[in-house]
Amino acid sequence: MIDCDVHNSWHSAEVLLPYLPPAFREYLQRGELPGPRGSFPHAHRPWLHPEGFMRYDAVPESGAAAGSQYDLLREQLLDRYDVDYAILTGDEAIEASTLANPYYAQALTSAYNDWLVHEWLPADLRLKGSLVVAPQDPHGAAAEIRRLGDHDGIVQVLVSSGSQRPYGDPFFHPIWEAAAEFDLPIAVHLGGQGGLNANPIGCGPTTFFWETHALLCETGMAHLASTIAHGVFERWPNARLILIECGVAWVPPILWRLDEDYRALRKETPWLRRLPSEYARDHVRMTTQPLEQPRSPEALWPALDDIGARDMLMFASDYPHWDFEDPRFLRLPETWREPVLDGNAREVYRLPARDRIAEASR
Amino acid sequence: MRGQRHLVCRASELPPGERRIVRLGGRSIGVFNVGGSFYALHNGCPHKGGALCEGPVCGTTVDASFGYGRHGEIVRCAWHGWEFDIATGVAVADPAVRARTYPVVVEDDHVMVVLPRARKEPDDE
Repeated sequence: MIDCDVHNSWHSAEVLLPYLPPAFREYLQRGELPGPRGSFPHAHRPWLHPEGFMRYDAVPESGAAAGSQYDLLREQLLDRYDVDYAILTGDEAIEASTLANPYYAQALTSAYNDWLVHEWLPADLRLKGSLVVAPQDPHGAAAEIRRLGDHDGIVQVLVSSGSQRPYGDPFFHPIWEAAAEFDLPIAVHLGGQGGLNANPIGCGPTTFFWETHALLCETGMAHLASTIAHGVFERWPNARLILIECGVAWVPPILWRLDEDYRALRKETPWLRRLPSEYARDHVRMTTQPLEQPRSPEALWPALDDIGARDMLMFASDYPHWDFEDPRFLRLPETWREPVLDGNAREVYRLPARDRIAEASR
Repeated sequence: MRGQRHLVCRASELPPGERRIVRLGGRSIGVFNVGGSFYALHNGCPHKGGALCEGPVCGTTVDASFGYGRHGEIVRCAWHGWEFDIATGVAVADPAVRARTYPVVVEDDHVMVVLPRARKEPDDE
């Protein structure tokens, strides 16, 4: 089994100090922060979770932050569920996308990536990393991909779903270009809704946290449409877009709508040669958590089946966050279990087949 | 050619670039002259039944740099704008979608559309 959204955290953002260049080290030591000393520099969204973000039982006895200690993560996730690979997505690092200063944002994400590579990936071969980049600086992000993109433990580039514009926009093409050079998918994870990224909700700010959280799939819709429409998958045939924690039930109707309007106004995007849904099937993947729960559980699958989602969905637990999903309680059609829990992620991340792992550990 | 021939007009009355919407055998049909060749399409779009043959006859973008071509070979449905190749009825954006076409014969300056005979009639002349 492969878990595609595991949050490795820190107890204090000051773990990044040794990895920051001196100029920016001072920002983190003495500069203004959004919270107490040790908080990560970012512009907070205007919706505050009324209970904090973490599973209460994932907080270590020491009182350190949930997800910050490898031993507990191994016990509660890797060993408990017999996880072959956990794709680490960091915790606050993607929030660097909210900062107006792109140089500081890039320095912070680079420091995170070095911290990940030095302190997390060597701990366990089951851990695979995401290279976090600051999308508000596309050329800096591309340079970061070229700096670390060929590291064995790195399996994707990661940005927040909150953004200044949809990710297919030519503004971001330097990032797609660099990711394609290293054959890395670009993953978009829910987050970054604040600061520079002012439009997470289509018609303006909602009020409550739960109300907002349920609607944040809107950003996923825009990134999906934009990436297809701008021809990212024509220009870089190995490009892949992974939507993490953006929901899945909305994907079929959005693809149907895109196909319909494309058929009428194809001439606007003459670089496309296939229907939007056909690009999506080959190039777009979605992680399951939080999986929508219809009143009749089986109501979820016919529409997803129509777009070929058996080959597009990838299991994610979101450990150790409050909306964690236990793979043993995931209701999937029987023939979907293997691809969704394992095969699809193994293919998109180019991870070795299971028997090869067993061989290597012998 | 099997089927029933229906006279549309004289060829000289339908010059290149022109089209005519006619009612033949209870069907609404668009007859087009594209560069001297005649084609007939069912005037009901396979998408949602729109007046397919009554939209603009035009060209379209033909390469990734907004190159324009195929001028006069495309009809754009009058309702939702789906583009169809007049000669084949194939939808430009999705070849799996086809508008119904009918054979056209031109003899002695007469343009005729060939429609299937009603089922009860014996085959062909």
